[in-house]
Amino acid sequence: MSLVQELYHYREFLKTSIRKEFRGKYKKSFLGVLWSFINPLLQLLVYALVFPFIMRVKVENYTMFLIVALIPWTFFNSTVCQSTSTIIASSGIIKKVYFPRAILPISNVTSNFINFLISCIIIIIALFISGMGLGASIIYLPIVMFLQYVFSLAISFILSSVTVYIRDLEYFVNVLMMLWFYLTPIVYEVSMIPEKFRMILNLNPMVHIITAYRDILYYQKAPDLKAIGILFVICFILLFVGYHIFHKCEKRFAEEL
Amino acid sequence: MKKQSNNKLAIKVSHVTKNFNVYYDKANTLKERMIFFNRNQKEVRKVLNDINLEISKGETVALIGVNGSGKSTLLKLMTKIIYPNSGNIKIHGKLTSLLELGAGFHPDFSGRENIYFNASIFGLTKAQIDKRLDDIIAFSELGDYIDNPIRTYSSGMYMRLAFAVAINVDADILLIDEVLAVGDQHFQEKCLNKMKELKKEGKTMVFVSHSMDAVKFLCDRAIWLYEGQIREDGSTEKVVSDYLKVCS
Repeated sequence: MSLVQELYHYREFLKTSIRKEFRGKYKKSFLGVLWSFINPLLQLLVYALVFPFIMRVKVENYTMFLIVALIPWTFFNSTVCQSTSTIIASSGIIKKVYFPRAILPISNVTSNFINFLISCIIIIIALFISGMGLGASIIYLPIVMFLQYVFSLAISFILSSVTVYIRDLEYFVNVLMMLWFYLTPIVYEVSMIPEKFRMILNLNPMVHIITAYRDILYYQKAPDLKAIGILFVICFILLFVGYHIFHKCEKRFAEEL
Repeated sequence: MKKQSNNKLAIKVSHVTKNFNVYYDKANTLKERMIFFNRNQKEVRKVLNDINLEISKGETVALIGVNGSGKSTLLKLMTKIIYPNSGNIKIHGKLTSLLELGAGFHPDFSGRENIYFNASIFGLTKAQIDKRLDDIIAFSELGDYIDNPIRTYSSGMYMRLAFAVAINVDADILLIDEVLAVGDQHFQEKCLNKMKELKKEGKTMVFVSHSMDAVKFLCDRAIWLYEGQIREDGSTEKVVSDYLKVCS
């Protein structure tokens, strides 16, 4: 509870650090914030060419099938990959002043989330261009986004603090995220996986998050509410555990950095 | 009743011990940890040993002692940048530390924007910063330079801006660590006078310095730290003269 109070007290710092992270990312680049569009679009182009034409995946309107999953994944991927360096990159201020350290992972996730919201414009434009439009199922979208935010924050808490002690994590996470990408139904769908492996696949929370996005935006139907319910509980347990790990680690940040 | 007695105390340090691990050759990565498991030898150095200290509201206290006696460590413990191995520290009131100036300054942004970054780290809201902005700019004496990016500043200008923000944060308790070492004579005097003013307003201050003139000018009480323990605690006059006797 005291964390919430402290975060409220330091709200201006939270705001400026989100803004700084968001603006700072593209400050030196020629195209600026446009990169948050171009990046996922180029990635999309690669996958949309590779899978239907080279791997011969047979899905109707594959580009749309891909886009509704790939853009949420990009948000998750960039959050997690950046989370390993959030604390280390701020070692200067951590050693100099006191502030609630939790602000750093929170602003990492939030600035990426804002980026994600901007990229959602691409999804919506694409949905209208392809003639699919938006269904009533869109009302479930904020819930799924919120769950993904909570899940990313939990992971970010754990990775940002543990990396301070074990620096290898940064490289390990990069490889792991590549594996995680293929363990999540982004370029394929759960139904394409043999029955016996599905149980294992279901243990991955991202499977359910991505499937929910696809249900809502591509199939335009309500997502599996039971899965969403379980996900809700798991995400909050993870957030709780993640914050406690972070809290345990944060006391020695200034000495370890 | 209990609350009453707390009201007079600003800082209470009880039985605080702090160890630093000094690694001979630190293994930071997993590979190093596995291959050179014997490399991670460390020496535990006791920096502070069972410190007990009470500072009342409105007091101005100097911490003096030779390098490595634990003064800065004690200040860092008070701001919660680091935590003690045992014992605890209670703070009553809003605390700001001027341990190092210019935390969170970003070289590509203007002086004005950096005032916002820096002050927000100290926990100020936008409205509070807006209200102090003119005071801060006036104190820094930067004039029109305030809208130039910080990377174009000289080190003196940088320092003045940083100090101007920190001193205007409006805390109840100020921890100041050797920040006056930079800046010209004029600005140093200005800072000292500003601190004297704050003292009159009833702020609590803990001041680390090697400048005995500044200590005598500002503080009523001095604490002499020696090898992690309090060697003497009393009026500035007496502690400083005892300290100087040993030093020379």
